[in-house]
Amino acid sequence: MTGAAAPSGPVAATYLDGVSAARQAVTIEPSGDLRRLAITLADGSVIHWPFDRLREITGGADAKRLTLALSAAEEDETGRDAARLVVTDPAAVAWFRQKVTTLDTRDLRAGTGRRVALWLGGAAAAVALMLFVILPAMADYMAAHLPVEAETALGATVMKQVEAMVGDGSGRDLVCRNPQGLAALTRLQDRLAAGAGVGQPITLSVFDSEMVNAFAAPGGQVVIFRGLLDEATSADEVAGVLAHEIGHVAARDPTRIALRSAGSAGILALILGDVSGGTTVALAGEYLMRNSYTRDAEAAADGFGLGLLASTGISSAGMADFFEKIAKDTDSMPEMMSSHPLSLARAQAARSHAAGQGPTEPALTDADWQALKAICN
Amino acid sequence: MTETSSSAVSARYTGLKGPLFRLAIVNGLLTILTLGIYRFWAKTRVRKFIWSSIDLGGDRPEYTGTGLEKFLGFLVAVVVLAVYLGLIQILLFYFGLYYVVAPKTETEMIMQVAVFYISLFAVLPLILFARYRSRRYLMARTRFLGIRFGMEKPAWGYVWRALAHGALTVVTLGILLPRQTFWLEKYKTDRSWYGDQRFVQGGRWTGLYRAMRHLFIGAALLFVAAPAIAIVMAAQGKTGETAAFAAIPVALIGFNWALFGYLYYRVHSFRYLTAHKSLVGAMAFRAEPRTGRIIGIYLLGVLIIGAIVGVAFAVAFGVAAATIASAGSTGAMPDILGVVVMALFYLGVLTLAGALILVFIVQPVLAHIVGTLTIFNPEALAEVRQRAYDAGADAEGFADALDVGGAI
Repeated sequence: MTGAAAPSGPVAATYLDGVSAARQAVTIEPSGDLRRLAITLADGSVIHWPFDRLREITGGADAKRLTLALSAAEEDETGRDAARLVVTDPAAVAWFRQKVTTLDTRDLRAGTGRRVALWLGGAAAAVALMLFVILPAMADYMAAHLPVEAETALGATVMKQVEAMVGDGSGRDLVCRNPQGLAALTRLQDRLAAGAGVGQPITLSVFDSEMVNAFAAPGGQVVIFRGLLDEATSADEVAGVLAHEIGHVAARDPTRIALRSAGSAGILALILGDVSGGTTVALAGEYLMRNSYTRDAEAAADGFGLGLLASTGISSAGMADFFEKIAKDTDSMPEMMSSHPLSLARAQAARSHAAGQGPTEPALTDADWQALKAICN
Repeated sequence: MTETSSSAVSARYTGLKGPLFRLAIVNGLLTILTLGIYRFWAKTRVRKFIWSSIDLGGDRPEYTGTGLEKFLGFLVAVVVLAVYLGLIQILLFYFGLYYVVAPKTETEMIMQVAVFYISLFAVLPLILFARYRSRRYLMARTRFLGIRFGMEKPAWGYVWRALAHGALTVVTLGILLPRQTFWLEKYKTDRSWYGDQRFVQGGRWTGLYRAMRHLFIGAALLFVAAPAIAIVMAAQGKTGETAAFAAIPVALIGFNWALFGYLYYRVHSFRYLTAHKSLVGAMAFRAEPRTGRIIGIYLLGVLIIGAIVGVAFAVAFGVAAATIASAGSTGAMPDILGVVVMALFYLGVLTLAGALILVFIVQPVLAHIVGTLTIFNPEALAEVRQRAYDAGADAEGFADALDVGGAI
């Protein structure tokens, strides 16, 4: 018997009427014109199932058994009538699979696409509203009302985390403490803080790390990485970067970001699911989002930095020089990915600001600058 | 059995490793490619496979849930949870900072930690809610002999009972755990239906104490015997070190005994509760999974999975390293490429591990439990009539969003 040959005569099967849990032994036979399947019950009565409405219940583990149902405009999840016909006769199963082409037709209810689009749009809108409007607004309000002591405490926690991330895992103290270097750093700190007027003390420190970077943590903490000191050729360049970071402190950006990510981290993990590295993706998303958030803040911090340099009599040419230097590294990255607006554009802004500046004085004396560069030795 | 005249039916599990592994791998890859969206369809396909692998006297349950309804249910849950969790978290974080400034004493530090952990308790009722809803959805989407299972709605009734029983168990140091287990299972079982027939959970909560015995032995060794040894030895004038030396092994044995005891409790309370369930008056059940067998399956599974993932890890790591090295020499951006390669590698290993856990631990444990299941007087099923369709509310969207729920 080949697989596709119609089984001769009636074939035994099991019928479940979808009304009672009683299983009924039946025989099945296709009609002569192959348009209907005749199901003969034990009491001799016959039910006819039209072939074009015949569907297989898919996804079963046992390929030898074929469960059939009729497609129906039921209000339930399946779009199938509740009655089932279970066929286990191998020849009959093969025949059905080959001859009845509508078996694996999916009957999507009308309007399914619209329903999905509606829900998807609604959910996306609600989450976006939360992430981009409500949480930032709350973070702004809270950052402005958080007591300075609490902000300082938060800053200490953030600093510890950064130290753990940057350090080599040995638990070594990353803060550079060469006495002459610290003295020079304090003089720079005093000069900048005097002009800043941010309403909270500014504390500068240097981390012993290769990275060419600087960041502001909540509570007026501003950290320079040694790599940045190595890269800079004058104290004015470092002062330019610091002026920018102090701009973040003035705007309480670090606190705002910490508050905002506390609210949004959970939401992102929720959406992306925790399986298959969902959290990694969530972190990446968080990274992108936070930076698009800070790009506006970066521009504001730049503006604040230039003003600070002007009021303290430091030339913003140093800032321009430094931005030109890092432009080589960062401008190859798409702007979306990098936390700072394209450096070349910022360098130009600083350059033109410098042209309009009156008499300036170097940020540090030569001796102090050399001492600062050696702060990690 | 094919003749319904016999008065007992033994269940069998017939699912094979190969097809399930292929299914899980394809599911995993599609889930990665769709950034996680496919996971609702993936779960549905695995359930269809497992349900249809259970043989109850020649008939098989049918899982009728759909990936689409799970996806939509998830969207509903996300909207509710995004608002709730986002607000709760940012507020707690803020007040944690506001009220507990720079912890100086130990108490303040504990306070600060406590404020941060309240977020967990803010979610706990939702987790319990999600668990009940999830069970209701599973029941509503399971059919046997063409007849739907079902479960009644009151999930919040379950939530407050679960919270109260849980608190009682904690306060009594676990002594009332059987009470919690029994009444919560009874709450759920008594609201479960097959067609027009209601399941009944019989038995008594004190009946579960037999299942607690190994937990008690472990606890006695850990909290009574070990300190007693230390105290007695110290009283005899031995040094603190000698006393500790004698007490620590006893404490360790007690700890492991308690771990075993907990698993034993889970298995044997399941036995008791199953043996005291009934349907249509006449139908009864018996399931007798064995703790040792389940531990054996776990240990063997962990060994096999560890070996396979270890090899895969080594191979994939070599390939990734080579890719990065060659890209570095051609001047491509090695950092970004490196991150992408490592991320893919990480996702690949997770997918493989997930599929292996399903095949070597979840399915064998399930097969063992199903294999010990007997149903008495199945002929009573003939009286059961169909029940109405349950829209299923959120289709366990809350469970998916909160990552609650079992392996399948």
